[in-house]
Amino acid sequence: MPHPKKRTAKDTQSPKPPLRFGEDPLLWVSWLYYEEGLTQGEIARIVGASRPTVNAYLAEARTKGIVSIAISYEKLRSTTLSSALTERFGLDDCLIIPGEGGDRALIDRLGSATAQALPRVLHSGDTIAITWGRTMLSVADAAKDLHLRDATVVQATGGTTATIPYTPEACATRLADSIGARFVPISAPAIVSSPEARRILEQEPVVSEQLQMLGQVNRILFGLSSLRPTSTIHSSGFFEGSIQQQAQYGQAIGSLAGRFIDGTGAIIEGPLGDRTIGIGLDALRAIETRILVSGGYDKVPPMLAALRGNYVTVLVTDAATGEGILRADGLELDSPRPHLKETAPMVTPVRGRRKQFINRTKNAVDEALEGALMAYPGHIEKIGDTVRAIRAVAQKPPGKVGIVIGGGAGHEPSFLGFVGRGLPDAVAVGNVFASPPPDRVLACARDADDGAGVLFIYGNYTGDIMNFDMAAELAEANGITVRSIQTTDDIASVSDNDRAAGRGIAGSIFVFKISGAASARLYSLDECERIARKANASCYTIGVALEPGSSPETQRPSFQLGEADMEFGVGVHGEPGALRQPMTSADRIVDQICDRLFEEMALNEGDRIAVLVNSFGGTPMMELFILNRRLNQRLAKRNITVHKSLVGNFFTSLDMVGASVTLLKLDEELTGLLDDSCEGFAYSQ
Amino acid sequence: MESIPNQGAGVIISEIAAMIVENKAYLSEIDGKIGDGDHGANMAKGFGRAAERLDPDGTLNDAMALLSGVLMSEIGGSMGPLYGMMFSDMADAVEGAEVIDAERFAQMIRAGLDGVQSIGSATVGDKTLVDTYVPAVDTFDAARARGDSFAEALSSMQRAAETGRDSTTDLVSKVGRSARLGERSRGVVDAGATSCCMILSGFATGIAARLA
Repeated sequence: MPHPKKRTAKDTQSPKPPLRFGEDPLLWVSWLYYEEGLTQGEIARIVGASRPTVNAYLAEARTKGIVSIAISYEKLRSTTLSSALTERFGLDDCLIIPGEGGDRALIDRLGSATAQALPRVLHSGDTIAITWGRTMLSVADAAKDLHLRDATVVQATGGTTATIPYTPEACATRLADSIGARFVPISAPAIVSSPEARRILEQEPVVSEQLQMLGQVNRILFGLSSLRPTSTIHSSGFFEGSIQQQAQYGQAIGSLAGRFIDGTGAIIEGPLGDRTIGIGLDALRAIETRILVSGGYDKVPPMLAALRGNYVTVLVTDAATGEGILRADGLELDSPRPHLKETAPMVTPVRGRRKQFINRTKNAVDEALEGALMAYPGHIEKIGDTVRAIRAVAQKPPGKVGIVIGGGAGHEPSFLGFVGRGLPDAVAVGNVFASPPPDRVLACARDADDGAGVLFIYGNYTGDIMNFDMAAELAEANGITVRSIQTTDDIASVSDNDRAAGRGIAGSIFVFKISGAASARLYSLDECERIARKANASCYTIGVALEPGSSPETQRPSFQLGEADMEFGVGVHGEPGALRQPMTSADRIVDQICDRLFEEMALNEGDRIAVLVNSFGGTPMMELFILNRRLNQRLAKRNITVHKSLVGNFFTSLDMVGASVTLLKLDEELTGLLDDSCEGFAYSQ
Repeated sequence: MESIPNQGAGVIISEIAAMIVENKAYLSEIDGKIGDGDHGANMAKGFGRAAERLDPDGTLNDAMALLSGVLMSEIGGSMGPLYGMMFSDMADAVEGAEVIDAERFAQMIRAGLDGVQSIGSATVGDKTLVDTYVPAVDTFDAARARGDSFAEALSSMQRAAETGRDSTTDLVSKVGRSARLGERSRGVVDAGATSCCMILSGFATGIAARLA
């Protein structure tokens, strides 16, 4: 193992008034203070001035910009080191704290640095394992500002002697306390006296259940032990005597989670393996995010081994240790100098005209409807001579309540894809994003009525309410009994629990399906209305837009969204959402949606739900599946059963890039109706 | 002259329609800031279609009735029924009149406002076309009560409509799609208030030009 090379200029032991500073006391004092890390008192003695004078020199050096050079030098060194380590070892992230950091012990500084990085790596719903040791305890204590929901912290190994303050239990409980997570212990010792004892203990139901939690871990925080006599692993009473004196462990260079690796990171099998209770190293390597926090010269060899063995995805260390690791791995470090990256001149994209398949804009809706009618002659046909009023082709049993749905165009396959057997009966189509006028809705009502009455179901929008209400009056005048319900599933558009004011978005699909099933079972109009209201009240949706959609009228984006922004809680017409915020990863977006949905729905363990992950038109299936993956992880974490999943284009907003997540809380009645067979061109089962 | 003949006043609706069509892009743009950006397109579609079909040499009530029919049956959305009802009630108010004088005009715009308020729930301050319409009607009545001429009253009404329209910039939307934005809707003029101002201004200038 090559030893880290000695650092040069910065290791100067006793600074003398050097010539190279000439007569410039500001430069000299700044150097001593910022580069040599001396206190103002020490500097005062060296330069032969009073402390207040030194203080004044330093203040002046800051205003003259001398000091900013020193500080950015340090920062750049950390940044350069961080990218070198990230690149060399294929890390996801690397945080390097400056080598010189004042009086605080390295372990404390590593702890607070890690705590600052944690919001980027730990998230609601995570199951987090933590090992033990001084550094881990420091991390656990410093993590106080992170507040997660539905998170669990698991001890990575069994327990050790209680004579030390940084036992596995202490580290895990403190971390759980700090971040507001549930704590799962491993109620067994880390090392037991024999393989038989381990087998017996691991079969204990309590221990067995706890160990199973380790299989669900998706993040682990771990430290490393060197095998020097002073390291934690010895003071813990973990092992008797010197490990390396045992033949099998002669090549051991470090220990993590109570197991041993050699200089290449290979696992060393030995007699202790069968006596150790806790996470295995292969299992550790399978965890999604593996955060190593460690620092100090004695840690360089085991850290390098851990990096080589691919145990680490996120590294937190200090600059000196980082340099040491790189040198030990054979990298010749230049004197740290900023890598000036060539940056292309920023071009602000002008969001101009979008290319679309359009003949004449004013014909777009009619032509689309004609094409849909040609595509699905077995499902839909027009009522009378207008393509804007459409009925299901399916034979209806006599006495069935008619269900009429509708709304603006631009949401395809809504709404015409959701009429058919076991679904609503007729659909009225308006202009792009505009409610259909009353006479069209009336034509649908007349067609759908079979004497048992008609139920109107449409989204809660001012225009739709006016037009459907006028149609309802006209229908009543024609002797048709009409009931109306507005879907209000978008919880992001309303504040303080005023669900009746929400917009109707993708969750409407579930309301159509369930109401259609009720009418197909020949339920009365009262019953159909009750069930539709119940389905709507059980439906919760939140949408997120990444890019605006563009109307065929203008062929231009209907709103502006910054390159690095997303719109949270967006509506299906490009209406601005509840808040605009910086773009982030798919999982984080789903987390934010889940946090809000779970809270609003008061979802409890054991609840059953149906899920709809819906594209706004411009987001491909692949991304919807990525969203669905995280959604299911979060639901599993709460022990929520997903009874049915729909993923795809259900309620779009032209070509808007974005998606919505709908959760429908199920009881026996809704489950039964949801499970009934149906046949619309966009929904059949 | 204190009145204009009803016959031949249909052209005023043609002029109003031309103004709406001309401002299609502007209305959509301001709508896009807090709504879905289709106000201009929908308005232009309705008014444009009506302008193609109406007889500019016919009566004002025939022109308004035709416009109302197009808005009600072909446009949909919220503006279809609102303006549809407004022009329908306005048409009823002047039907059978030989001339449109100040009194008849006052009845007409009051009837249109009642029509809007019968199906919409908005009141002054909700950031809608009502913020333009109500002060315009009140100002016209007050000018007449003062003894102002028809032309003067029309001019006062137009200024009140413009002031009302501009007042919506500082308001937070309480009705319609933009109401879900809360505070974020502040700072943008309301598209409906703007198109309503265009319509009332169209009446003011169209009638005033024929009074002279």
